[in-house]
Amino acid sequence: MTIADRTILHVDMDAFFAAIEQRDHPALRGKPVIVGGSADARGVVSTASYEARKYGVHSAMPMTEAKRRCPHAVFLPVNAAKYRETSRHIFQIFYKYTPLVEGLSLDEAFLDLSGSEKLFGSPLEIARAIKREIESEVGLTASIGLSYCKFLAKMGSDMNKPDGLTVLGREQLHSVVHPLPISKLWGVGKKAALQLERLGIKTIGDAARMDLQIIRRFTGSLADHIYLLANGVDPRPVEPYHERKSIGQEVTFAEDVGNLEFLHTTLLSQSETIARELRQRKLEAKTFTLKLRYPSFHTITRSHTLAEATQNDSAIYRLSQLLLQKCALKTNDKVRLIGLSASTLLPESGRQQISLFDVEPDKSVKLLRAIDQIKDKFGERAVTRARLLQNQDNPLDPNENGD
Amino acid sequence: MKLSVERSSLLSAIQTVQRAVSTKTTIPILSGIKIAVDQTGLKMTATDLETGIETSLPALLNNDPILQVMEEGAIVLSARYLSEIVRKLPHSSVEIEVKQNYLTVIRSGSSEFNLHGLHAEEFPRLPLIHGNQVFSLPALVLKDLIRQTVPAISTEEIRPVLTGVVMSLKDGQLRFVATDSHRLAQRVASVEAPADLTFSNVIVPGKSLSELGRLLPDNDSLVDVVIADNQILFKMEYTQFYSRLIDGQYPDTSRIIPTSFKTEFRVGSKDLLEAVERAALIARDNDNNVVRLDVKRNLVEISSNSPDVGKVSETLSHGSVSGEELLIAFNAKYLIDALRVIESEEIVIQFTGSMSPFLINQIENPNYLHLILPVRIY
Repeated sequence: MTIADRTILHVDMDAFFAAIEQRDHPALRGKPVIVGGSADARGVVSTASYEARKYGVHSAMPMTEAKRRCPHAVFLPVNAAKYRETSRHIFQIFYKYTPLVEGLSLDEAFLDLSGSEKLFGSPLEIARAIKREIESEVGLTASIGLSYCKFLAKMGSDMNKPDGLTVLGREQLHSVVHPLPISKLWGVGKKAALQLERLGIKTIGDAARMDLQIIRRFTGSLADHIYLLANGVDPRPVEPYHERKSIGQEVTFAEDVGNLEFLHTTLLSQSETIARELRQRKLEAKTFTLKLRYPSFHTITRSHTLAEATQNDSAIYRLSQLLLQKCALKTNDKVRLIGLSASTLLPESGRQQISLFDVEPDKSVKLLRAIDQIKDKFGERAVTRARLLQNQDNPLDPNENGD
Repeated sequence: MKLSVERSSLLSAIQTVQRAVSTKTTIPILSGIKIAVDQTGLKMTATDLETGIETSLPALLNNDPILQVMEEGAIVLSARYLSEIVRKLPHSSVEIEVKQNYLTVIRSGSSEFNLHGLHAEEFPRLPLIHGNQVFSLPALVLKDLIRQTVPAISTEEIRPVLTGVVMSLKDGQLRFVATDSHRLAQRVASVEAPADLTFSNVIVPGKSLSELGRLLPDNDSLVDVVIADNQILFKMEYTQFYSRLIDGQYPDTSRIIPTSFKTEFRVGSKDLLEAVERAALIARDNDNNVVRLDVKRNLVEISSNSPDVGKVSETLSHGSVSGEELLIAFNAKYLIDALRVIESEEIVIQFTGSMSPFLINQIENPNYLHLILPVRIY
């Protein structure tokens, strides 16, 4: 089988978080529902239901703005555990049809159906079956794009939302995709779109016909990327074990924080979450990046690469404190958002260089292992540090996005 | 300014101060060397604001006239051009004359260079240090202190204090300690100091000390050390070396060094070094160069394995072991660094357990010790 005759689906859930809430609370059906951070404070919209979208509310919009545009909407906090559970259920349906499932987020995945046809029927029949099963078993609707490559499958799922099913083959590339504005092309952001428009490339069709030699001089490698996609060339395989490049945590505070102690406590909690996820995935990270956003929205990052990768809570926390020190906050400075992320992820080595300043290295590793086991069995909140307890009353917005 | 100077003396003075010339600077004058002459002689200065070196050329050296000053004055010239030019000049004598607008003429034999100079007044002055904390030690001893501790400094800028060597003095005993938190090197030496002179937590950047180590002569001439608030000055016969000190509190390492041991292994330092270097050939494939030392009553084995490459093992037959048996894993590089600066033919390695630091002691020189933390394998 060649790359050219693969069968790829892109499944995208419709207004995922909001739809789950409407499913669970029948009273909310037909009403504008907005899931996100605290509406009184400064959270952002994670997902808006289609009813709310009519008022111009979209994800990543500040909650205050959403409230202004659609004051009568029902505002709900993010219930991450529930959405994860629902997502797991949906992915189980995918796995019935193919092992080649590449999850992009909780509510979005690529499926490579090449070879599944003999077992389950034509690609179109499988796509319809998946939609049907999601609807009957999970109670939600999905939009699906069907094509021979990832790019067109993804375009397709976006074309007839909600509850859509769109086939984009080579014929539709010209008739349906080419007339679309260039900004709809995967990987073309607002800035790139403006630049391309100035170069006379206004539609995807323009990009397919452009003189690569000339455009390349203005945009560098972006030119090659869009030229190939616009011509329907996208050989990227569906990668079932989509390797994540970084693991991160960030919070926007309900109120700007100037208290250093509180920032440290937040970093401690973020370090623990990241370290635990690293251990769960059997990974270690070498690079850690701290992100601070000031009330002015000015954002800075400070990062450091360790000589030796780690998955240890205290090592990560220690480094995060040093990174915060590097930001040189002044006494009157306040912070709107703080985030910590781990990158340069490597498989765990099973070795740990002991440090002079670890008090009892052997004990601390055994302790972490025991805590992990307790959390696996009784849930993430079963054990925690006393220092993190009072922190949980604070309305933090987990900036999760599930549109 | 006008002078005539012997070329090789001039060149060696340039090479001395050049170590402090800033290579990456946005301030143009810092890429230059300041030359100042008066009737007492010639003085050359360079600085990158972190370190500064000043060296002087007297008119007479061992009764040979090496310098003749015709007109006093000062100029700043590009370090790079000056050193390259002087190195290639055709004659053993060089004449330097500053004309209008800092244009500087360098003549030697029939060759004549015209270099654009900079105003000497704009060159930063080196700090005036009149510390009252002054002591002296022989250049060779200082060189050893540097050589045996600097390799253990940390290269991670994230903890600035660990990128330096911490100095302390008590009862005439000068102590240098360096650690990157995975190994620690400590060297103590007796110095000539006033009986009541005591200090601690003087953190000198490791980079400065490395440069100083290259400048120090290989002899017993005394070096005076002056410590002021945030600067340190090393005074040699003709050269003065300044360095900024690192701000902050160095962690207390005194309690970390173990004093009681369960296992001791006595071995020839060269035998051990060669065996570790061989084991490291395989170990270098993994992140922390892990080698294992299996210390048994009657034999000691050093080994390493890399799943992708292969493995190595070697028995150390010339050592002697006392105490409990033990298996320990550690970064080979740390042991190699330690053994390379050891002078004793025989060393004792003292262990307290496979998760605890172990000590490397020189039998003939108790003033130097090295501590290495193991790697935990799980």
